[in-house]
Amino acid sequence: MAAEKNYYTIDPQGKLSCVKCGVPLIKGKAKFMYLDNGFPVELPVCPVCGFVYVPEELALGKVASVERALEDK
Amino acid sequence: MSQIQERGSTHVYKVNRISKEEIDSMAELCVYEQPPFCNAACPLKLDTRAFLKAAAAGDFKKALQLYEKIAPFPLILSRGCEAPCEAKCRLCELGDGVAIRAVEAAVARFGQQSKLGGIFRTKKKKNVAILGSGLFPLFLAGELEKKAYPITVFCEQEDLAAFLRCEAGFLDEEAFALELKRLKGKDIQFVFSCEFTRGFLEEKRGAFDVLCASESVAKRLFPEAAPVPELMYYEEEKLVSGPARGVMEAAFGAKKAALTVDRLAQNLDPRNTRGQEGPVGSRLYTDLSEAKELRRISGSGADYTPEEAAAEAGRCIQCHCEECLKSCAYLQHYKKHPGLLAREIYNNTQIIMGDHQLNKPMNACSLCGQCSVVCPNGFDMAHVCHLARQNMVSTDKMPLAPHEFALLDMLFSNNEAFLCRPQPGFERCRYVFFPGCQAAAIAPDTVRAAYEDLCARLEGGVALLLGCCGAIGDWAGRCEMEQQTREFLDRELAKLGDPIVIAGCPSCRKELSTHEGLRITGIWDVLLEIGLPAGGHGLDRPAALHDSCGARGEKQTQAAIRAIAAQLGCELVDTPYSGDRAPCCGYGGLAAYANREVAAEMTEKCLERSDAPYISYCMACRDRFARQGRESRHILELVYGTDAGDPPDISEKRKNRLALKYALQRELWGEEAMEKKLDYPLAFTPEARQMMDERMILTEDVIAVIEDFRESGEAIRDEDGLLVARRRVGNATFWVKFACEGEGFLIHRAWSHRMKVVKREG
Ligand code: SF4
Ligand code: SF4
Ligand code: SF4
Ligand SMILES: [Zn+2]
Repeated sequence: MAAEKNYYTIDPQGKLSCVKCGVPLIKGKAKFMYLDNGFPVELPVCPVCGFVYVPEELALGKVASVERALEDK
Repeated sequence: MSQIQERGSTHVYKVNRISKEEIDSMAELCVYEQPPFCNAACPLKLDTRAFLKAAAAGDFKKALQLYEKIAPFPLILSRGCEAPCEAKCRLCELGDGVAIRAVEAAVARFGQQSKLGGIFRTKKKKNVAILGSGLFPLFLAGELEKKAYPITVFCEQEDLAAFLRCEAGFLDEEAFALELKRLKGKDIQFVFSCEFTRGFLEEKRGAFDVLCASESVAKRLFPEAAPVPELMYYEEEKLVSGPARGVMEAAFGAKKAALTVDRLAQNLDPRNTRGQEGPVGSRLYTDLSEAKELRRISGSGADYTPEEAAAEAGRCIQCHCEECLKSCAYLQHYKKHPGLLAREIYNNTQIIMGDHQLNKPMNACSLCGQCSVVCPNGFDMAHVCHLARQNMVSTDKMPLAPHEFALLDMLFSNNEAFLCRPQPGFERCRYVFFPGCQAAAIAPDTVRAAYEDLCARLEGGVALLLGCCGAIGDWAGRCEMEQQTREFLDRELAKLGDPIVIAGCPSCRKELSTHEGLRITGIWDVLLEIGLPAGGHGLDRPAALHDSCGARGEKQTQAAIRAIAAQLGCELVDTPYSGDRAPCCGYGGLAAYANREVAAEMTEKCLERSDAPYISYCMACRDRFARQGRESRHILELVYGTDAGDPPDISEKRKNRLALKYALQRELWGEEAMEKKLDYPLAFTPEARQMMDERMILTEDVIAVIEDFRESGEAIRDEDGLLVARRRVGNATFWVKFACEGEGFLIHRAWSHRMKVVKREG
């Protein structure tokens, strides 16, 4: 199978941690879904509980612009 | 928590609510693309407006370029044309029409000729012969040279000067010399000293693809035959010619003949696809009040000097219709006239797959109907955008995002914040006061004062109904939600004994008027009837009265508000665009939710009419003007001597509605109000507050996240030690960055997105 393309990658570089599990977040596989479309991404994820973090810049930048584009499809 | 279903991306084609014919007939109303009257009257279709504009600016080069498009020999045409355009100039109605022909003559003489010689252009394959002399052959040669046909003119004269002299004997020496030079510069072959016989003609027929002749040559060779004048063509004889007496007729004839040659050269029927030829009518509207100079510039000599010509051209008012664009910030923003925009928006609704690029404009119109009043033809863009929205919803293509906040607000008004009670001591009431959701959100004290006043002074009981009229659902194009609201309100009104509704807001009044059998009046009418209560007073300086778009067409309402203002002692300043012509504050049609930028321009447009404080009678107007920093009061604040103060943010608007409801429940109806209280401290930095207002994040969204965190303990710790938690509420995920402070929380930041995010395996 061809390697899946990631639309966006953020590496937490050990700067973020999961409060509940007490471990640092790592770069992990996640997926954005909207209006029946899915986008594979790599985001900070808790390796234990699976908490996926969407930083403010990402939410207001890339995510918002893709939302607008999909809404007008 | 109320929720609205998001649409899918697989479009199911359901009900189409607009037809192309309907849109076409609406778009027809807009005369923006109609030609100005001068241009419509010109058989040669000179772009008069652009020509005069260039001439007025002193750009004779450009003016000449435009003129040469219709006149291969500008000096001849401009001196001999009968100028039908001048008679049709709109300025004739006020004084003298523009002396278009005289300006043309000056441009022809003083304009710098463009260098574009024909020699180096690739020529067409088919060649043309023209027999004879006179204006028609000359002009025809000019037209065909423009079209790049190889042309040979056969004439009886012995040289070019003699040829030209016989056509344009009326030119003075200077003009003659210039035109001769122009003729020499053109790529036209001449054969002089010819004698025209049938044999001569037949011989040429063998050598040329198309034959043309002057009228007199054609008549001499075929005395029995008659041409088809629209085509300038002797069909049997296969000879391009026809009547052409006078300069204009010759020029127009040459134009028609050139088209016939073009068709014949391609072996096509000359009758087909000729387009509009000759003078036409026009429905263009022009605001003649812009006309300043009504008298023709009288030249110092027989002809205009360049300066005189420019001044005369400057009298042209550049006839065009933009009544709607002048007054509507929305149309100005998109720089499009409604006829065009309506077609584009209609097309947008018909796209099944692909980008709906017109969603934004479709949702940015405030549906205020101002255009329908200022347009001389009553073009109603609101109707187009409204239908288009309904259509997008009914075909499941309308994104929820632009309107979701407002729709949820409507549900909030009619659920958590809803209150419907008969006046204490009554079971059924003669009246019910319906202040409107925005009034309760923005000026709760004023609502309460008004209600208590009505209760005290009206006979038969006054019930209170705090809720939303359903206009939000209507504006969003969501007919079902509007209908549900309508049925819900009707049930509540029935419980009260179907009282007469006293609306506090013109838009509610308008929306509620669509209920069958409902009797409705405005609080302004009631107050005028029973007299104003004591204690009210106007502002101490002159103020501008802003008419609500909800009251468009409601002369009685507009007059009632003015009468109340007068009784309060208000001094009102005159503003342009008042009464039925008033613009919308930007709230209408949910413009403020769907397109903040355009909505802000609408607010600006309202405020630019006056520097004075604004008095309005719709709470949304009051709010938007105050947010813009203008002193802004609702007429009921003045009536009741209340002051709603600084405009609330989106969370305060909700809090105000709940607080009013609970206070009234406790204090008027002796009920126990179920006010929710947090059992932990929650505080916000000023930055967080502002951010939430801008990003449309409510305090209750933040509370939802914090409660979730308190229960699950799920959060991440950021570099700076702050915690970030999240929760999916309805169709959005909210993120909150905060610090724990003992038992409580201090909110630093908040953001949201609509996409769902999940962990992916592998
Ligand atoms: S006012 Fe606007 S809509 Fe009406 S005809 Fe003129 S350009 Fe068209
Ligand atoms: S004012 Fe100008 S545009 Fe209008 S009819 Fe006269 S010449 Fe034409
Ligand atoms: S905002 Fe008002 S005036 Fe402008 S196009 Fe829409 S309905 Fe017409
Ligand atoms: Zn974890």
